[in-house]
Amino acid sequence: MTTLHFESINVGDKLPAKEVPITSSLIVGGAVASRDFTTVHHDKKAAQKAGLPDIFMNILTSNGLMSSYITNWAGPDSTTKKIDLKLGAPNLPGFVMTITGEVKAKNEDHGTLEIEVTGENNVWGMHMQGTVQVQLPKGAQS
Amino acid sequence: MNPEETQAFEEKIYAFIGRENGPPKKGHDAVNEPMIRHWAEIMGDESPVYTDSEAAINSSKGGIIAPPSMLQTWSMEGYSMAGDFVQDVQRGLHNVFDEHGYTGVLGTNTTTEFFRDLKPGDEVTAHTVIDSISEQKATARGIGYFIETVTTFTDQDGEDVGRQVFRVLKFVPADGDASASSESTDDESPAAPTRIASPRGHDNGWWWNAIDEGKMLIQRCKNCQTLRHPPRPMCGECQSIEWDSIESSMEGEVFSFTTLHYPKIPGYDYPLCCAVISLNEGTRIVSNIVGIDHEDVTIGMKVKGNIEQVDEKTMLPQFYPAQAGE
Amino acid sequence: MNANIKDKAAIVGVANTEFSKNSGRSELQLAAEAVAAALDDAGLKPSDVDGITTFTMDTSDEIEVARAVGIGDLNFYSRVPHGGGAATGLIHQAVMAVATGMAETVVCYRSLNGRSGHRFSGGVSGDITTSDAIHWGWYMPYGLLTPASWVAMFTQRYMHLTNCTKDSLFEVAYTMRQHAASNPAALFYQKPFDRAEYNAQKKIVDPFQLYDCCLESDGASAVVITSTERAKDLKQPGVVIKAVAQCAAADMEVMTSFYRDEIAAIPSMDIAAQTAYSQCGLTADDIDAAIIYDAFSPIVLWQLESWGFCKHGEAHDFVMDGALRLDGRLPTNTHGGQLSEAYIHGVNGIVEATRLVRGTSVNQPGKTINHALVTAGVGVPTGGALLGTMDTL
Repeated sequence: MTTLHFESINVGDKLPAKEVPITSSLIVGGAVASRDFTTVHHDKKAAQKAGLPDIFMNILTSNGLMSSYITNWAGPDSTTKKIDLKLGAPNLPGFVMTITGEVKAKNEDHGTLEIEVTGENNVWGMHMQGTVQVQLPKGAQS
Repeated sequence: MNPEETQAFEEKIYAFIGRENGPPKKGHDAVNEPMIRHWAEIMGDESPVYTDSEAAINSSKGGIIAPPSMLQTWSMEGYSMAGDFVQDVQRGLHNVFDEHGYTGVLGTNTTTEFFRDLKPGDEVTAHTVIDSISEQKATARGIGYFIETVTTFTDQDGEDVGRQVFRVLKFVPADGDASASSESTDDESPAAPTRIASPRGHDNGWWWNAIDEGKMLIQRCKNCQTLRHPPRPMCGECQSIEWDSIESSMEGEVFSFTTLHYPKIPGYDYPLCCAVISLNEGTRIVSNIVGIDHEDVTIGMKVKGNIEQVDEKTMLPQFYPAQAGE
Repeated sequence: MNANIKDKAAIVGVANTEFSKNSGRSELQLAAEAVAAALDDAGLKPSDVDGITTFTMDTSDEIEVARAVGIGDLNFYSRVPHGGGAATGLIHQAVMAVATGMAETVVCYRSLNGRSGHRFSGGVSGDITTSDAIHWGWYMPYGLLTPASWVAMFTQRYMHLTNCTKDSLFEVAYTMRQHAASNPAALFYQKPFDRAEYNAQKKIVDPFQLYDCCLESDGASAVVITSTERAKDLKQPGVVIKAVAQCAAADMEVMTSFYRDEIAAIPSMDIAAQTAYSQCGLTADDIDAAIIYDAFSPIVLWQLESWGFCKHGEAHDFVMDGALRLDGRLPTNTHGGQLSEAYIHGVNGIVEATRLVRGTSVNQPGKTINHALVTAGVGVPTGGALLGTMDTL
């Protein structure tokens, strides 16, 4: 896994889309990994009481998926500085979320990129939309 | 609520602004490799700086670090969250909303800043303040207020390592929203939405039935041979109610078009190009232009249509740019 | 065909409720408040009213409104279809009733919680159960579902055939917002925008961005109409109805008349304008100010052409000269329009047109307003009215 260099990225560059199958395992696993034991993220009956047909993804997992999408692209020497995330429709088991990203701005002074990331599921549409600010190394080291 | 009641309610909720949510909350565990590995596995984060100490030491990070988005995880309450709600100030604020009918709750935004990488051994403490409450807003969910809490995360030296703004909407659920479906025991996951179908009646059902069979027809007056679309029961030229149809070549040109961006209706892919097409037979039809970047569509462009299955339930004419020479 | 209604009736009272994003009360209550306030403005009692007109789309039944306000026996009631196309249709009905003696005093209203209740921007859907479901069926499967998308289809064709650009769409939206910015009743009071802010708004449907589209708002508007003779004795200076016309031109569909030879114009309004001018003998040159239905920015351009303020296809040049501004040739939508004051389906526009002729608009132009035009929504069967001062009798 290599790290991208700041100079090699241009505004308008698109990140490869990634499909994330949403399963009960992912939802429960993400909730537990983030120590979020709120019942609606692991107990279907509790989720139904809250008005949804099944358990749904917690916000920390959405943040985690957005952030991983960036680090898997940018590489290990990148540094995520900020995640600005707007939440839309819930992610439920059986959905497929497609994550896409586009470089919107470059800050030469700080070596940072602003990447607009969108996660849309195939059933209810936009699940998350946001901007990740990530710093990349400059120069030719690999 | 009448204006006086609203005012009294708002005085109550706005009194929460600036209050600390409770004493600073220190994480039960220091930043540690097992929890990091658990997280990275589930999120599918392949960066070696989270899980491979040798690669991490050789990277610019100088050793294992925690994924930044785990920041909030380190100070989460944990399993007790599955029981009764923790009685903190924020819960008290939500109770005030609940008592006044604003029972809906929805996390709408998080903005998280990371000031430095966290490494195993770091101890994280969260300091949360109720930062602001909006004026009353009309939202798609219902009437409500946005509550913003700001959490500052500090380390064992009292230095700030990150900051998170968390925005929640407390709203009055619309009728038939959450409450109506609370008894649902439906075991089916919601199906992928499909395009909104046309109702089929006496005057138009035959046309859609032919589409389902892969044919696009144009209604023709049996008396004067005038073609008409959309179909209607009488010929406007000669008032005959006798009609048959011809099969369209599905060739024509773009008379006008527009690309839709917002709102995004479930079942459709955006940007979505819709066009009025003048068919070679002389009638017009509205359809989609596909197989071309919407920015390259022009008025006058030659197009050729196919009947396609566009989703699980829908057969529809779709038009493509005509090949040169066609 | 030439109706004899010139100068027979006058607008004698007008009112709006406040405009908001959440009225906190029923549409019926808003309707009752607007009607009562319009009667108060006229110096009339509820019992003076014997006729009511409203939209078919209005959820407040006229007899419920009458009972709420304390209006007594009604001799005349009617409703006009086709959404905003009904706006001046209310006047049309009232004038016919008053001119023929079917009614003496008619109150017209429109009340909607257009923001906190049903929002039109969501478009039509499979839930429609009305008789026009089959009509929408030709468009819904393709995703052509929203009012903005229907109007955009005409706009793209118009821009293809004329020199109209985003510049004139901006000029319309900008001018309406300037007017709203100095109208304390407007939802966009003190919130002007510049070109950069306009350009930065989200795309809705090409070529529209957010500020090309009207507001969604809660509120109600009402207008009281009686005979010109009676108007002479009332509290306010009467505003005489010189002409009023409506038209559904041949080969019409609601919002989707895509099958005419050319679609870069609105024949229904062309014909309504000719009818109105022929009723009263006025021409475009006589009109001093206008309230032009502005659910979307370009529809103002087409109506300027229909009413003869410029030639067909030349509205771009007309507005780029600043004609719509307060010091321009035709001060237009001085309340901020539906783009920036409030979207009460055009009836707030009738209120403002009345105020312009009275000389009491919050943004009253410097020049004398003898005659004003007010129009109804287009894309649907539509219409317009020409109003004048009592001095024009």
